[in-house]
Amino acid sequence: MDELDILKKKWQQQEETLPQLSYKDIYKMILKKSSSIVKWIFYISIAEIVLWTVLSFFVPESSKQINEKMGLDGVFLAFNIINYLIFIGFIILFYRNYIKIKVTDSIKELMQNIIKTRKTVKYFVIYSVSTSALLLIGTNIYYYFNQHQLFTLIDKYLQQNPNMTEEEFLQIFFIIQVVLGLIVIGIMLLFYRIVYGILLRRLHNNYKELEKIEM
Amino acid sequence: MNKELEHSFVTQLQENQNIVHKICRLYTNDSDSHNDLFQEITIQLWKAFPKFRGDSKFSTWMYRVALNTAITLYRKSKRTINTQDYEGVSFKIASEPYDDTEEKQLKLMYSAVKDLNDIDKALVFLYLEDKNYREISETLGITEVNARVKMNRIKEKLRTVLNP
Repeated sequence: MDELDILKKKWQQQEETLPQLSYKDIYKMILKKSSSIVKWIFYISIAEIVLWTVLSFFVPESSKQINEKMGLDGVFLAFNIINYLIFIGFIILFYRNYIKIKVTDSIKELMQNIIKTRKTVKYFVIYSVSTSALLLIGTNIYYYFNQHQLFTLIDKYLQQNPNMTEEEFLQIFFIIQVVLGLIVIGIMLLFYRIVYGILLRRLHNNYKELEKIEM
Repeated sequence: MNKELEHSFVTQLQENQNIVHKICRLYTNDSDSHNDLFQEITIQLWKAFPKFRGDSKFSTWMYRVALNTAITLYRKSKRTINTQDYEGVSFKIASEPYDDTEEKQLKLMYSAVKDLNDIDKALVFLYLEDKNYREISETLGITEVNARVKMNRIKEKLRTVLNP
């Protein structure tokens, strides 16, 4: 008989020392809300999808008019249609993965399904960030080659005339564009560190342990 | 209908609550987190209960949901990480004459099991609950052969802890 078998014998005798809950205690528990990791992942994912969808709507009217005058409206329209189709595709994928998460699966399947759901959202955000970045870079390159036209247009839309030369203005304009772009990417990276650090570190570690067993 | 379902669920869980308590004891270190985990397992069991068809025993079904919750779904609260102040653990059975060295070894063994990682702990738990390797492998989602190999390794590890 090995040590674990001795523990096994005693293990079954520990029941007398276990707490005993009454019918009422347990009944009260089923009325409470879950705070499981899946729920958090679901909320965070929905928030990410909503945030990126809302952000893409959030283009000031003046900027739209400038782009229209710059001759970019056709390109933007095509881009938006493709973009929304891809968004819808991602949302369908996310939902399909989410409903596959079942607490009655084996430990491994459950972990795989959670990781898969999370990955869909991760790819969604990577897609959103990189298309936004590409769009930003593309538009700015286009602006750069048409700077004079851009300056006259913006000048027209600004209520107060900034006391700047065309050259100064354009310099500041491009610097602001770059800084804003970097800030958005920085926030995204920070967000991911937090989400993965807090919510998923334990899950990933446990999943790795399970995989090690199968190697 | 809903009332019936509730009644049937609460009754069965009350009868089988020891399983959940044992898992909570293994995966948490103080009574607050024990209660937290018990609460979360109860909710997960209740959410899954309408789909429980009774083609397996209620207790068998419980092992899976409860372990899944403890290992994957439950978020440990920060305040309880790294504390080892669980007081309720004792194998002393009042009516039995007690061998002190055996008691000491058991305590050592129990704390060694608690120090294992979440997955190994689940394996040991199912083993201690007298589950066969087929059930263990199905609950974890690994092959039976690998479950055996892993279990032997854990036994080896525990042996070295007890006989350094």
